[in-house]
Amino acid sequence: MATQSPSLSSLEADVLVIGGGSTGVGVARDAALRGFSTILVERSDLADGTTGRFHGLLHSGGRYAVKDPSAARECIAENRILRLTAADCVEDTGGLFVSTPWDDPEYGDQFLQGCKATGVPAEEIPVAEALRREPRVNPDIRRAFLVPDAALDPWKLVWGCARSAEEHGARILPYCRVLYLEMDGDRVVGADVRNERSGEEFRIHATVVINAAGAWAGQIADLARCTVNVRAGMGLMIAMNHRLVHMCVNRCKRPADGDILLPLRTACVIGTTDVFVPDPDQTEIRQEDIDLLLDEGEKLVPGFRQARALHAWAGVRPLFEDTAKVAETRDVTRSHALLDHSSREGVAGFLTITGGKTTTFRLMAEAAVDAACRQLGGPRPCRTADVPLSGSENHALYQISHRLAEREPVPQAEEIICECELITRSRLEDTIKQRDTTSLDDIRRLLRLAMGPCQGGFCIYRAAGILHQGGHVDQAGANQTLLDFLEERWKGVHPILHGDQLRQARLDDWIFQGILDVEHVPV
Amino acid sequence: MSYDTVVVGAGLAGLTAALRLSERGQHVLIVARGVGATHLAPATVDVLGYLGDTQVASPAASLPGLSNGHPYGHVPVDQLTTALAWFCAHTAALGYAGGPGENLLLPTALGVPKPSALAPRSMAGGDLRAGGRFVFVGFKGFKDFHPTLIAANLARARLPLSIEARALELEPPPTRRGDLSGRVMAGRFDNEQLTDWLVHALEHRVEPDERIGVPAVLGLRSDAPWQELEKRLQRKVFEVATLPPSVPGIRLFQALSAALRSGGVRMVFGVTAVGARINAGRIEAVEVANATGTHAYPVTSVVLASGGFASGGLELDSFGTTRETVFDLPLSGLPEGHRVRFAPRYFDEQPLATAGVATDDLLRPVDGSSRPVYENLHAAGAILAGATPWKEKSGTGISVATGYAAAEGILVPAAAPVSEAVR
Ligand SMILES: Cc1cc2nc3c(=O)[nH]c(=O)nc-3n(C[C@H](O)[C@H](O)[C@H](O)COP(=O)(O)OP(=O)(O)OC[C@H]3O[C@@H](n4cnc5c(N)ncnc54)[C@H](O)[C@@H]3O)c2cc1C
Ligand SMILES: Cc1cc2nc3c(=O)[nH]c(=O)nc-3n(C[C@H](O)[C@H](O)[C@H](O)COP(=O)(O)OP(=O)(O)OC[C@H]3O[C@@H](n4cnc5c(N)ncnc54)[C@H](O)[C@@H]3O)c2cc1C
Repeated sequence: MATQSPSLSSLEADVLVIGGGSTGVGVARDAALRGFSTILVERSDLADGTTGRFHGLLHSGGRYAVKDPSAARECIAENRILRLTAADCVEDTGGLFVSTPWDDPEYGDQFLQGCKATGVPAEEIPVAEALRREPRVNPDIRRAFLVPDAALDPWKLVWGCARSAEEHGARILPYCRVLYLEMDGDRVVGADVRNERSGEEFRIHATVVINAAGAWAGQIADLARCTVNVRAGMGLMIAMNHRLVHMCVNRCKRPADGDILLPLRTACVIGTTDVFVPDPDQTEIRQEDIDLLLDEGEKLVPGFRQARALHAWAGVRPLFEDTAKVAETRDVTRSHALLDHSSREGVAGFLTITGGKTTTFRLMAEAAVDAACRQLGGPRPCRTADVPLSGSENHALYQISHRLAEREPVPQAEEIICECELITRSRLEDTIKQRDTTSLDDIRRLLRLAMGPCQGGFCIYRAAGILHQGGHVDQAGANQTLLDFLEERWKGVHPILHGDQLRQARLDDWIFQGILDVEHVPV
Repeated sequence: MSYDTVVVGAGLAGLTAALRLSERGQHVLIVARGVGATHLAPATVDVLGYLGDTQVASPAASLPGLSNGHPYGHVPVDQLTTALAWFCAHTAALGYAGGPGENLLLPTALGVPKPSALAPRSMAGGDLRAGGRFVFVGFKGFKDFHPTLIAANLARARLPLSIEARALELEPPPTRRGDLSGRVMAGRFDNEQLTDWLVHALEHRVEPDERIGVPAVLGLRSDAPWQELEKRLQRKVFEVATLPPSVPGIRLFQALSAALRSGGVRMVFGVTAVGARINAGRIEAVEVANATGTHAYPVTSVVLASGGFASGGLELDSFGTTRETVFDLPLSGLPEGHRVRFAPRYFDEQPLATAGVATDDLLRPVDGSSRPVYENLHAAGAILAGATPWKEKSGTGISVATGYAAAEGILVPAAAPVSEAVR
């Protein structure tokens, strides 16, 4: 994908989408499939906002079955759609709700009723059967229920939507930040954007501007003197080495902190928490939240605290607040909010879509583009429920073993740059070329480079060398991206460093500071 | 069977202590869970490369600048000098040269000049201090060495005399294995005609005044391939240390274990020291666990050389408590408060960096009031408190110096009156 900046000083489109998370790329793809000329701008890399920092659950709806039936209905409907249209992003792990000794077993009855009422398939199974499937789960659980939860890969999903949008003529511009919205009277007619890599500023004219900036949607709305109250709810997650569980294991109780443990590729992730933060860009990880997650993990999987914690990170939920003023369309549910600012504040050409979940991103996008159609000359049918992403045409769900399967026919055929994630040299080189990027962190998000147990101890020197050798960066650039990567990685490593992972970190200290002496590299 | 000394750990510190003790007539047993950092680290002996942000030209002259409580505080400079000379003498097959007086500056695999006090002859030719012309040679298909980046960085490095550096990539004869580790590459130099190939590949591509840097994979068994290359190419050839596993480090381990074996030292791998039997302030026996159970070895003296966090000698649990894992010794250098929080920036000073056991001048671990915990327990290497060796570039130097000094501490007659009686 071409991610260079447009060298033009101004661009034009029917639809300008602000934000490159699941919502934004969903909107861009939907609009492009309906034949609108579309541009998306993202201030950072795609999926570098909440979407790339979420927990990873493709909800079955079970979690909301009791508390929020309409959200549950949306989830199961979208779950079914994404299994077909985004199959390659979905690992069909299945979900398990369990009543641990800390949970009221009676809640299981409410749970089953709620699932039944909302159409979420749920089945109670004997505890022995649950433990056979998940041998590490607390043997003292009292009840267990199966639901169709699954694991969802946010990067694949976001890049898949972005590529599909591009195939249908859209322009996707990462590292382009909206600075101002351009107004013509009480109409939004475009945006002033800065390319964060080159510093160049340019203008995009659009008939409709769709604000899909997630927890930052309030900041974007301010630029048009509109009000969107999104509360930023920070949630913490910790990735543990190995798949301690193979299904998405939920506590069977009212949703609370630290009650889901799900497999993610070769690791598993516990989450999450919910703490209000005044600024979505300030997400400091607190020790008490780490302890909370480790303690809750211990309840689900005894011995959790001795397992190896790889990485901690936080995401910010966009929680939409003033429901009073949104009651203008059928599209407002408690789970997401579509705001047409012409009816709210009299500002035309400007919509906000926020809140919600990644599971329901497609539905949110459909609602937003339906509303945009009204300002673009009439309805056009949405096609995203039927047209699969490329790579998902045969509806084959992702399998954990796929990289191994790709490699196996020709054993040891070529260099493996990242052993943890089985990334070959050619795959790395192709990605560098396709993305035209020189940032190891961008590459990480695309390939999961350095996301395994060693957290880049070995592959990052190799990748920097390959970037330099291929002429993609000069020596200073290679050094800088290596140093940046080490700092970035440390952010997620230092809060949870203990046990075997401290051992690993010390080995990495010795590799980078002892063997290579990266600290004294010329930059 | 009873031993004069049981050494816990087979890293550089444990191997050094054991060899020195056996050479002085002791009956020594090494127990180790596995091999130590020798198999991972460059085989140089780095005594002191940085004091804070300042590069050190002469370790001996800079040692007094180290803070109180640094392991070198227990090793007088003349003893350090003796230890390094002793080390060179006992690794003669690898031709170690240098001393504490001045540091070599050897290029890293990232092209950074790094100070080391001793280097094996196969690496010493990379010394950048005299300036000159260098060519760095990579092997296609070997992912752990990137000569273009090395050459580009070295060309911009701050050095006493100017250098020129360029990169060359060669394609070795094909092999069925596409994904090559340093170990596999080294095996090819041992067993195939790779040295021959390299001579032919380089002969006409290297200028007469160029020194030739290659990844440190020139043979596992010995440095014979390096010797042959120098002889046939008539130029200085040198190995550059790269990502683990470390081929020169494995050679070093082999050289030291050969010396230990011929000195009658017994080495037991795959076992874990789990504690001690204590009597009247002394360790009577070391408890060692293997797959079938725990065995107690009666001893006169003990050397704890179990390494730091990297090798499991120290451990931090998820509640924030740090422990010495074999004898539960008191630790020094722990941050205040009950929980460890690491600094948010990677290169900042990190808590726990200097954590470890503090000792007296005989290298005996001491408690909070500076008294030896056990009269006959000595410690050496990365388990010691007070250093940040990856920043100072002092890890292997501390291991050799304190391994030697711990042995001397045991050999001092006054330190072991009881042991004489027991014998
Ligand atoms: C801890 C946590 C766990 C979660 N777990 C799940 C889960 O398991 N399953 C699930 O379905 N959902 C989950 N969610 C919810 C889900 O992640 C979010 O609802 C979803 O990712 C929001 O996507 P988005 O595109 O609206 O926002 P984002 O992904 O945040 O995208 C908004 C983008 O706007 C960009 N932006 C901001 N300002 C500007 C500007 N000036 N110019 C250009 N771009 C700008 C940002 O950089 C950002 O990339 C979780 C959320 C959190 C916080
Ligand atoms: C990748 C890497 C690169 C390095 N690079 C450099 C460098 O460039 N310069 C430098 O100066 N230093 C470097 N070092 C550090 C240096 O190698 C070490 O600081 C030093 O050699 C430590 O030696 P040691 O003998 O104290 O411990 P180690 O080598 O760690 O050995 C510890 C030994 O104790 C054993 N052990 C631990 N616990 C038990 C137990 N309970 N029972 C039995 N056995 C046990 C282990 O199995 C092992 O044999 C590097 C280290 C690594 C890992």
